[in-house]
Amino acid sequence: MRLPRIFRTTPFRLTVLFLALFASAAMGLLAYIYVATAGEATRRTDEDITREMHSLVAAYGRAGVDGVNQSVIERAASERPFLYVLMGADRKRISGSIAESPVDNVSGAPTWTTFSVTDQDSQGHTVKHPARGLQQQLGAGPILFVGSDVGGDEAYLARVVGALQGAGALVVVLGLAGGVLMSRNVTRSMFSLTEVVDAVRNGDLSVRAQVRGTRDEFDELASGVNEMLDRLERSMAGHRHAGDAIAHDLRSPLTRLRARLEVAYLDVEAGKGDPTQALAQALEDTDGVMKTFSAVLAIARLQAAGTAPDPVLFDPSELAANISELYAPLCEDKGIDFGVELSQNLQARGNREFLAQALANILDNAVKYTPSGGAIMLRVRRRSSGEIEFSVTDTGPGVPDADRERVVQRFLRLENSRNQPGAGLGLSLVAAVAEAHGGRLELAEGPGRVGEIGPGLRVALVLPRPA
Amino acid sequence: MRILIVEDDLEAADAMERGLSEVGNACIRAADGEAGLTAARDSEFDVMIVDRMMPKMNGVELIETLRREGDQTPVLFLSALGEVGDRVAGLQAGGDDYLVKPYAFAELIARVEALARRRETGSVQTLLRVGALEMDLIGRTVHRDGKEIDLQPREFQLLEFMMRHAGQSVTRTMLLEKVWEYHFDPQTNVIDVHISRLRSKIDKGFERAMLQTVRGAGYRLDA
Repeated sequence: MRLPRIFRTTPFRLTVLFLALFASAAMGLLAYIYVATAGEATRRTDEDITREMHSLVAAYGRAGVDGVNQSVIERAASERPFLYVLMGADRKRISGSIAESPVDNVSGAPTWTTFSVTDQDSQGHTVKHPARGLQQQLGAGPILFVGSDVGGDEAYLARVVGALQGAGALVVVLGLAGGVLMSRNVTRSMFSLTEVVDAVRNGDLSVRAQVRGTRDEFDELASGVNEMLDRLERSMAGHRHAGDAIAHDLRSPLTRLRARLEVAYLDVEAGKGDPTQALAQALEDTDGVMKTFSAVLAIARLQAAGTAPDPVLFDPSELAANISELYAPLCEDKGIDFGVELSQNLQARGNREFLAQALANILDNAVKYTPSGGAIMLRVRRRSSGEIEFSVTDTGPGVPDADRERVVQRFLRLENSRNQPGAGLGLSLVAAVAEAHGGRLELAEGPGRVGEIGPGLRVALVLPRPA
Repeated sequence: MRILIVEDDLEAADAMERGLSEVGNACIRAADGEAGLTAARDSEFDVMIVDRMMPKMNGVELIETLRREGDQTPVLFLSALGEVGDRVAGLQAGGDDYLVKPYAFAELIARVEALARRRETGSVQTLLRVGALEMDLIGRTVHRDGKEIDLQPREFQLLEFMMRHAGQSVTRTMLLEKVWEYHFDPQTNVIDVHISRLRSKIDKGFERAMLQTVRGAGYRLDA
């Protein structure tokens, strides 16, 4: 059988545990109080009885049976809180204050007895009270009993016990109620987290735990979980994207490769044609596939790692100068005016290798899309925010406003660039490199439209200000 | 050349052996690190091709052991891992070059030949000569048939690399790595443009072209 949910919560269990501990301690304490109180009352009564007995025994010593009888009659009539019975050696009652005869076999030594005494309460009803007393044979003669009505003591003790039981019950009830309340409180705090975990388990990574702003440990946990989910979602999106990219970028070349090999195979089998051409083409296709593959792999690795490996402090202008030197002849051959503007004395922090590759990819793209007679400008500068910006502006067709965010965010290829393989992955890598450095990739419109040329594209790789 | 192939992927090792034997090399194979160590200790090789990930003893351990024992045979690491850190770790362990799988066969042969050649020219040279082409490494001048050729610094480095590997195919990736020190593949033909500039300077106006394009591989400087 499963307990209701609230009883299975940790706070409730803890409450019950502490309640049990507390109740045990309280019970121990109450038991001690009871024993001390009850014991003390009995002891005092017994002392008083013993003293009274002594004084009556002394009276017997002075004046014999008559003396005792005299004293008993006097004392019984007085306000003394004692019960007396005096009997002769033949056990005949001589005098006394009570009707009962609580005396049993007397062997001589003083003996304690407990019995019930009949009394009348304020309404005149006959009631029985518990009583206790000492009996003693005086010499070889009469038997004397001195007792006391302990009904008051007993009633008092009963009240104490009742109070203790009530207190115990109150502790348990309050404790359980507190436990339930606390559990519900904590459970409510945990509930949103549990919901989030359930949703994530069912594959929904978009849910987030509620942060209530109380800045307690639940809030801390909630924001921790949210951060974890953010990162997980990004990473999953990255992997999914990498998968999509692989599918998209590898499917067509692989299909083409397979078809080419198949045709070559059929040709050879039919004894016609020279397969060399087809094989050479197949090799070239394979190279393309491998390039795409390593690009996708690099992106996936960067996104999985989350940070750029082996970051160093370096001069971004020097890095850009080196890359521009690699690309300048290419631009010149294509009839593109290639300009470089590098700010001096800058410092950036990152992985040079990845940043060089990112910059190369941006330039690759620019060269690819800029028609002959166009221009490309490479700039490195420090923004007023302290960020380091590498930017490449070209006079190609650019990217429509509406698509820019999509290009950056989801690394999708643009429809019109499908016939130019690799472009999507190139910028994807740039975005991955930027993100791994804590920076970003920004796309903006280039210098604008001039006749058939433009409006161009401005691609900026922005790195955070080096710490 | 005698080449030791330490590779646990038997099919890949097979293909490598066939390809390398076809261009006139003698190959010995070992299927794991320990067998590779025994083979390397047993005889002399011109080049060792070592896979990084292998059973028993991985490639890095193998080469570290051999280097400690004083074996200076050039080593080409093969790896399925392509990150910057992996390459650095491989080179620090004593590898001389690093090739990421999957690779083009032409790339492998070019790199193996380059490694073997490097060993031959151990001494410090001040003058490189390939046929009628002369490079003065101190004066930073280049002459062909006694006629001075004016080169930009990068063109000079490019030609120096080509001259040091004259008669061998060198790939675009090798040039990008060794001359520009970039370890990535550009999408566009940047290297081709640099080569064609260099070619126009050293071959234009001369009867015979020295700088050849090798189909499917890269370039070769012939005497």
